[in-house]
Amino acid sequence: MNLDDDIAAWAAAVRLPAADADAIFRQIMATEPARSAAPVRAVTAPSAHVLATTAPGLGGAWWRQQAAGFAARMVAATAPLTYAA
Amino acid sequence: MDSQAEFRRLYEAHRAAVHAYFTGRTGDRQASADLMQEVFLRAWQHWDTLAGLPEDRRRAWLFTVARNLSVDTARHQRTQAGTERALAREPVPVGAPASTAVLGAERAAVVAGAIAELPEQQRVTLAMAAAGGMNSAEIGTALGVPAGTVRYRLSLARRSLAEALDDYDHPQEGS
Repeated sequence: MNLDDDIAAWAAAVRLPAADADAIFRQIMATEPARSAAPVRAVTAPSAHVLATTAPGLGGAWWRQQAAGFAARMVAATAPLTYAA
Repeated sequence: MDSQAEFRRLYEAHRAAVHAYFTGRTGDRQASADLMQEVFLRAWQHWDTLAGLPEDRRRAWLFTVARNLSVDTARHQRTQAGTERALAREPVPVGAPASTAVLGAERAAVVAGAIAELPEQQRVTLAMAAAGGMNSAEIGTALGVPAGTVRYRLSLARRSLAEALDDYDHPQEGS
């Protein structure tokens, strides 16, 4: 086996199979060709800062409900003082 | 030609080269596939821009995105490449049966290990030529270096591989 054969064998081993390439193409086609479209997958892990500010956690409805509940409790707790004043 | 058909043609024309580029950078086929997918996903999302470009500028666009992605994932790739190198270096057990298949696998591991040990520029160039099927001019355009530099890097890579295989074929006594 000469060097060219060895390199060719390595290349064949690392080359992406056609079936995998087709599957990737179908996944891409499932997205919209729009500039503003969100990426399907994240390639790199975001930094802690990004995670802290943008990572999706609890839904917006949950936060609105919690905020409303907190506001209601605050009003209820401070109401007697308000009336006394 | 409709958008999907034209994008398919672009994908088929460049997917192997882009994948080979990432293979040279990461040493990992699946990670390279993920990164290649990201490049073409971005191309599809920017198709309104790409569709109007000539072929050479489309390829330049793809490799610009690929290089940027490589920078973003450099830390992950170093970890991955270290694992690959460690696996490639794993010694074959003494007394293993010397069948053709085993010898072939052992030789393939030597080649893979030697390629993993190449300087990154040489490894990327070799991958793009061997796995991506690109010539020196095409690789040079994609990487932003002269074709002569590409040929020089290929020459160095081949010399290193030849030395590694020579050591494998003719082991020194007592080493």
